[in-house]
Amino acid sequence: MAENNVSKTKKLFTVCGLVVLALGIILYFAKAPMGLNRKIYDLPIFLIIIGLGFACKGFMMKPGAKELELSKKSFGEFLTNNAILLAMLVLVIVICILQPRFMQIRVALDILTQSSTKLIMALGICFTLLIAGTDLSAGRMVGLASVVSASMLQTATYANRFFPDLPQVQLWMPILIAIVACMIFGALNGFLVAKYDMHPFIATLAVQVIIYGACSLYFDMPPNNSQPIGGIRPDFAQLGQMRLFAGIYQGFPGISILIPIALVICVIIWFVLNKTVFGKNVYAIGGNREAAVVAGINVFRNIMGIFILASCLYGIAGVLEAARTAGATNNYGNGYELDAIAACVVGGVSLSGGIGKVGGIVMGVLIFTIIQYGLQFINVSPMWQQVIKGVIIAVAVAIDLTKYRRK
Amino acid sequence: MRKVFILALTFLLVFSFTASADEIKIGSCIYRFNDAFMLRFRNAMSAESEKLGAKIEHADGQDNQITQNEQIDKFIADGVKVLIVNPVDRMSSQLIIDKAKAANIPVVFINREPPEEILNSYEKAYYVGAKAEESGTEAGQIIADYFKANPAADKNHDGKIQFVLLKGQNGHQDMILRSKYSVEAIKNAGIEPVEIASAIANWDKLQAMQIMNAFTMAIGPENIEAVIANNDEMALGAVEALKNSDYNKGDKNFYIPVVGVDANASALDAMNKGEMLGTVLNDSDNQGAAAVKLAYALASGGDVKSIGYEITDNKYIWIPYQKVTRGENK
Repeated sequence: MAENNVSKTKKLFTVCGLVVLALGIILYFAKAPMGLNRKIYDLPIFLIIIGLGFACKGFMMKPGAKELELSKKSFGEFLTNNAILLAMLVLVIVICILQPRFMQIRVALDILTQSSTKLIMALGICFTLLIAGTDLSAGRMVGLASVVSASMLQTATYANRFFPDLPQVQLWMPILIAIVACMIFGALNGFLVAKYDMHPFIATLAVQVIIYGACSLYFDMPPNNSQPIGGIRPDFAQLGQMRLFAGIYQGFPGISILIPIALVICVIIWFVLNKTVFGKNVYAIGGNREAAVVAGINVFRNIMGIFILASCLYGIAGVLEAARTAGATNNYGNGYELDAIAACVVGGVSLSGGIGKVGGIVMGVLIFTIIQYGLQFINVSPMWQQVIKGVIIAVAVAIDLTKYRRK
Repeated sequence: MRKVFILALTFLLVFSFTASADEIKIGSCIYRFNDAFMLRFRNAMSAESEKLGAKIEHADGQDNQITQNEQIDKFIADGVKVLIVNPVDRMSSQLIIDKAKAANIPVVFINREPPEEILNSYEKAYYVGAKAEESGTEAGQIIADYFKANPAADKNHDGKIQFVLLKGQNGHQDMILRSKYSVEAIKNAGIEPVEIASAIANWDKLQAMQIMNAFTMAIGPENIEAVIANNDEMALGAVEALKNSDYNKGDKNFYIPVVGVDANASALDAMNKGEMLGTVLNDSDNQGAAAVKLAYALASGGDVKSIGYEITDNKYIWIPYQKVTRGENK
């Protein structure tokens, strides 16, 4: 009986996938003769990708895997467990109908590009959430890193240079300085939390204010005097704006370099969390701190490590943000930490510590970016965007908590 | 007796031109230090004070009216002879005027214009600034001039300008007037403006870039004929977004004219590279000098009519805006 069920599930996935795939291929060839080019844009390609995904999942399904039970109860459970994802899908469909241009490969790539820096932030902040803490200084660290790196990477001919006499230094030097500056503040975060057992909320709040003040002092130094930093060197701007494989076929906009950067960092963080002693310690401290101490884990060293690693990631995000916009002010990154925390929570990271996966965080960030981008795309008022964002966070956490209560 | 003493002292100061311990102290309240425009304004005021031999002290309102009110109280307690105020919230100017009136010191408002009836409630209250509508008008004229000189800029050949509008902080006077008058100027030049999209980007480069990115994708860059931004930072954000769609990189066939307001260093740089069409200079140097000269004359009992600026309605000094387009800056 069970075997029969599994093969049913497998069949379902495979058949659905192949149907979508076939539909995609038909549309791909039919859209030009039918005059649908300006109506469905790249929809066929998306269908092909989705179809292939489902079909592959069906093929790869091992016998004995969890069976898909089709009943009213399981359907209801499925709806509540994936409410946010489904709401996003509905929104995407509505947007596609209102504004068919949404169905373009370049839009999908643009969303991934915008997700990249957010993902790096979220991966950093998830460490602090995993030990039942938080990090309010993350956004200001982004500002610090962007100002520090941009200030040393201006073209020689720019009229309003931050350091008028600075030679054209190697690209990596200012970037390293910016990231190290963040890591110093990260160490301060960790020290306050680990040494004095301060709640991370208050420790990082204090550090946040310090960073903003310090960054503003730096930004206000003569001759810059708080002017937005511009005249960014092209080689630095390329770091955030370069596009790979641009034009390999007609009209392909290219993949932003930010996407592979975020992917590499994602893999590294996954490795750190799942395959290293440090990663296991993070979960252990988050799950039960007393037990971790009894088990002989050096809590001080691990907490220091967590905050320094997190600040390193914020530093990277800040540098990329400066490169992407070819500019910086001390207001960059303002409020990013809350977006990152929200994305983590929507992605299933528990605020009480010990629970959270890299895959979930990626999902959380993507859901947030797609919704935000989509609402912007159909020109929804920013005030409504705020309301919708808040509702998503509340609903996501509510669902998560009911899930754990059931267990 | 005290008045006579102060008057004598002032005369002594004016005629001797020496800075003494009793030099004229000016208290200047800036809405927020971290604002490129107000920074140049602040520097111009400091330079002019030095020239006149007055002492000026600036306070950072941190974009918070309550903080600014406290700073005004502190300045009055410190015995400043005149206040220069760049209000955080122009609708709160009544409170500022009441404070100045109680202390019987003149107050010169700058950059953000208090409502007329509030300004009229105190005979020693003045305003130095530019007419915000003028900046909008000139930005619109830059676009209209460009269309007349380049017929190809009308991409769909309908004789209208399809534009995107990037607006500053919601409710800000400059945002309202610049948005309105830039569109009006295009109309007055005989071309019909059509707004295809607009959004509030809070004067911010990053926000403007993300919004413009979504707009270019949603509308298609080939359907956008102009971008009008309420300030340069937002215009530069729009430029970065357009470059992301391979526009404004030097190829004339892939170009959308972008205008801003402020003429800051980054905007001039972008204009030299041909990425941005033009901007409007809000003449902060002139405004700063005028504000300090007026404040100095008021505090020293000098003649406000002889400071070299025309005073309208006994209340206002208007400093005109200047258009800056590519090639006009060095």
